[in-house]
Amino acid sequence: METQPDNPPNGRAPAGDGTKKLGKRIERVGHTAEQVWDRTRDSVTDLGEALDIKGRVDRHPYGTVAAAIGIGYVLGGGLFTPLTGRIVRLGLRIGMRLAVLPMLKQEVAELIETIEDEEVGKSKKANANKGR
Amino acid sequence: MEMTEKIEETARELGARVRPQIEEARRRFSSFNDTAIGYIKENPGKCLVGAVAVGFLIGKIAGRRG
Repeated sequence: METQPDNPPNGRAPAGDGTKKLGKRIERVGHTAEQVWDRTRDSVTDLGEALDIKGRVDRHPYGTVAAAIGIGYVLGGGLFTPLTGRIVRLGLRIGMRLAVLPMLKQEVAELIETIEDEEVGKSKKANANKGR
Repeated sequence: MEMTEKIEETARELGARVRPQIEEARRRFSSFNDTAIGYIKENPGKCLVGAVAVGFLIGKIAGRRG
């Protein structure tokens, strides 16, 4: 009896059929992976355009990098740590100084002006009394 | 009077000696700043990913210490 590759005995698949199926499956997986990659790339591009990352970096290069460091810091779990408390306290202290110092300067300048005006008024009065 | 003149002269000499160094430092800082900004603008993705990674590491270290 002759062996026929297309119709093997006992209903078994021919030897080359498994390889063909595997090849098709690999091809399908490759195609799906390609589609997923394309979609991911498109999503990343869309997100980049929506956030206008390039424009932001062009406008504020250091600020954007600082923001990225901050995002990484939060993602790394550094938000509720003593270091954050220290940084916040330092920021508040500097902010208070920057905000309070000009106010204090203005107050002192006004005080000096008032004192000068009072002295001028007194000297004028004294001169007027002398003239009498 | 002589003392004041001496102090003034010393200050002037010191200023003349230090001024070029300060100018040079300022020029270098400005050049470094321009280079850094140029690099960030040319490679925004690389810089941002690197910055996030640095922040992540700092956060991890801070979390471990806290």
